[in-house]
Amino acid sequence: MIGATYLVLAAAFVCFAFRLVRGPTLADRVIGIDGMLMVGLGLIVVQAEDTGRGAFLQVAVMLTLVGFIGTAVVARFIEGQGE
Amino acid sequence: MIGEVIVLFGAVLTLLSAIGVVRFPDALSRMHALTKASTVGFGLIAIGACLNMTNANDITSVLLAAGLQLLTLPVAATLIAHSTYWAHRIPVRIDGGDELRQAADAGRLGRRTLRRNRPTTHDGPDQESSPS
Repeated sequence: MIGATYLVLAAAFVCFAFRLVRGPTLADRVIGIDGMLMVGLGLIVVQAEDTGRGAFLQVAVMLTLVGFIGTAVVARFIEGQGE
Repeated sequence: MIGEVIVLFGAVLTLLSAIGVVRFPDALSRMHALTKASTVGFGLIAIGACLNMTNANDITSVLLAAGLQLLTLPVAATLIAHSTYWAHRIPVRIDGGDELRQAADAGRLGRRTLRRNRPTTHDGPDQESSPS
């Protein structure tokens, strides 16, 4: 069951990476980065559940905050791009 | 056992949102697919992992991460959607009424968004009702 979860999350990671590489505009790349970050969070939590060690869970908490700040900054950048 | 099933369900939801991000034709609809499915997906992963954990420190960390994600992801999606809409080079397709543009024309938005008049490439009802 846990192995299937790892496989499904890896497939989602590949899909987001495809959008990151392929995306025609900057907004699509930001969406790809955001999705990859989300999959990484899920992988950290699933790994903590699998091994029973929660040493990396603080990394997950920090990753949510850093991801939000990065997305907000890139949103301002996109908005100024059209001028 | 039930925790693993919930975690797998959340992972499948994340995969569905990834497929939506790949398949949808437009930046705004891709963002729709990412945000809607991923909040629920990560929330289910966190809840399912909490059901299997025993250490209280781990459980609070996972719940904090899920709560922060639930708070910040809609805000980030709204920021990206607004800037995608007002950016000039990104084509967006809008079906039905364009309420953001109506609000901007009525002056109900801030001065910052009113300054940029988007050259309308979308096909809204305000375009069709005024033929040149």
